[in-house]
Amino acid sequence: MQKGLSLDSSQSPQNLRRDRINRLFARAVVIPTVIALALIGVLLLDTLYDTVSVQVVEVTETSGKSFALSQALTADQVIRLELLAQGKSPEEVAALMSDPDEMRVFRLRNRVELMWATQEGPLRWVVSSIDDERIANYSLFEGLRRWNELKEGLQENQQLRLNPWLDYSFLTRDPSRNPISAGLRVALFGTLWVLGLTLAMSIPIGVGTAIYLEEYAPKNRLTRFIEVNLRNLAGVPSIVFGLLGLAVFVRGMEFGPTIISAALTMALLIMPTITIAAREALRSVPDSIRFAAYALGATKWQTVTMVVLPSSIPGIATGVILAATRAIGEAAPLLIVGAAAYVAFVPRGIFSEYTVLPVQIYLWISANLSEFANTAAAGIIVLLVTLAGLYALAFWIRRRYRVEW
Amino acid sequence: MNAAAWAQKKPSKSLKERAVVLVLFLLALVSVLTTAGIIFTLFGETLQFFRQVPLLEFLFAPEWTPLFAEPRYGIGALLAGTFLFTAIGLVVAIPLGLLTAAYLSEYAPFEQSVRVKGIMELLEGIPTVVFGYFALLFVTPIFQNLIPGLNLFNPLSAGLVLGFAILPYISNVASDAMMAVPRSLREAAYALGATKFEVVTRVVFPAAISGIVAAIILATSRAIGETMIAAIAAGQRPMLTLDPRETIATMTSYIVQAATGDQPAGSLASRALFSVGTTLFVLTLTFNILAQRIVERYRERYE
Repeated sequence: MQKGLSLDSSQSPQNLRRDRINRLFARAVVIPTVIALALIGVLLLDTLYDTVSVQVVEVTETSGKSFALSQALTADQVIRLELLAQGKSPEEVAALMSDPDEMRVFRLRNRVELMWATQEGPLRWVVSSIDDERIANYSLFEGLRRWNELKEGLQENQQLRLNPWLDYSFLTRDPSRNPISAGLRVALFGTLWVLGLTLAMSIPIGVGTAIYLEEYAPKNRLTRFIEVNLRNLAGVPSIVFGLLGLAVFVRGMEFGPTIISAALTMALLIMPTITIAAREALRSVPDSIRFAAYALGATKWQTVTMVVLPSSIPGIATGVILAATRAIGEAAPLLIVGAAAYVAFVPRGIFSEYTVLPVQIYLWISANLSEFANTAAAGIIVLLVTLAGLYALAFWIRRRYRVEW
Repeated sequence: MNAAAWAQKKPSKSLKERAVVLVLFLLALVSVLTTAGIIFTLFGETLQFFRQVPLLEFLFAPEWTPLFAEPRYGIGALLAGTFLFTAIGLVVAIPLGLLTAAYLSEYAPFEQSVRVKGIMELLEGIPTVVFGYFALLFVTPIFQNLIPGLNLFNPLSAGLVLGFAILPYISNVASDAMMAVPRSLREAAYALGATKFEVVTRVVFPAAISGIVAAIILATSRAIGETMIAAIAAGQRPMLTLDPRETIATMTSYIVQAATGDQPAGSLASRALFSVGTTLFVLTLTFNILAQRIVERYRERYE
């Protein structure tokens, strides 16, 4: 690292001081980065830590059976064992398990999950019922520290569980007012629907705008106005787009709090981002390439669609993916256009009610119940992993398809 | 002459070409329509609001309680909350952001600056709902042990976390401004025997000051519009106070609270919501335009 000139020529106190300050500052400029990195690390670790808790649960007469991992490897095997233990014959069990409706009812009433530990030992499947009463929920550290004490203090119908909230079944369960049976399925489908529809609308508009501004627009006041307007639109707080969506799509067009309202709102929100990225990609195509196309007799539109656009696809794709990450993480505008309603079903079409990942997380955080903090943490990890995947994809495209002119 | 200008001289003869230009132009107009839509709906509802609530009440009433039996509509309570939240965020973000900018533009070798920029992008990419969770469930409990009388929802921990959320905006724009300072200025200062610290603080900083100011204004605008951290961790209870331990509401967190409650279209409470939105929009727009003006000015000076 370059440290600047050293002032060894004169050892006067003043110069020594200048030298010391100089060297101190060279170290100080790194501090914020270190702090930022530490914050990201602590945030991740804290969230991961919150996805595990130690619970004391009071079970009902029928629930609370547990099975060792050696008895059953999958949830289906556990259900079979559970039904057999309830006194049903093997034929009845087979019939029940092949009936999807019966299984749905079973899953609505019960939750089959692999606990990291129970009072009976490590790694056990537990069949719990939504009627189980949760006595206490401890953080991981607190729970493990007091594990033996809690175990001694258990009453006959109580159980102790080391519960990893984030597991496969968390992704497949529907939302619930009961944290034990709350899951992300509806929010995941909602996010997919909203994202898909948002991109379907904002990509053509955003890229079209970029092509117009870069390739066609005359240099006049209207063009300048459009450009300034785009830049300002990119700086408008997302929640204001929510108010626009509320007034125009939810109320004005009477779409209500549905996927189409959300997607329209989100499309307007990320459109400037896509346009700006696409313009940059188009601009990076050198004019010599365009001239070459014209020289071959191509029309302007042929030049744009067959030469300029294809070679700027990687840049545009990267921009679109980054805009998508924004659409996935944004909660504020969707809260305003009505994603906050309690929705128990996977959306069936663009006029269905819905909820999305970040909104579901917000709802869990504001539910003000320590177990919903666990589900919120689990939801955050899912959200962050999704985003990290998309960033990695964008990064890969940028490196793999970069064109050097 | 660049290709675009050259091609414009080429008359686009065919009907298809002209149709294409028209369609593209219409697509470009969507953004203009969006702005028009925002202005039209916000200002329309706000005008309706001011037919029922006097402007003086809006500006000077000490409380914001649209849902009470005797409603008050003093935006000051929300502005105070927004100010507190934003100010705490800036107190964190400005020193960290400017030091990072100095590092990026003056100290970091290339690979290192790529890494630092990566970390800033990471910070920028974290959804704010995650920051809100972190502020409420990690920072606040720690602060509650240290600061007596700290409410569960408070602008202190929310603002602290906000500072990291807006840090990338400051470091990006400010480092660009500092990099735009001509090398000759630095060399002249070194020739006079200045240390690197003196060059950075007394030559580069002052020379880039307009860009740095723009960066801070831009970050302020982001902070004012930041919603989820405020809604989750700062609170949703409008209060005219400057005590960072109190539960407050920012304009954004009030909008969330009001919009997630049930408010029929056309009711006064719903219009009050839009009047807050208008205030927020006008404030952030003013800041953004101001920042752009300043950036354009310093660009002209050195290019």
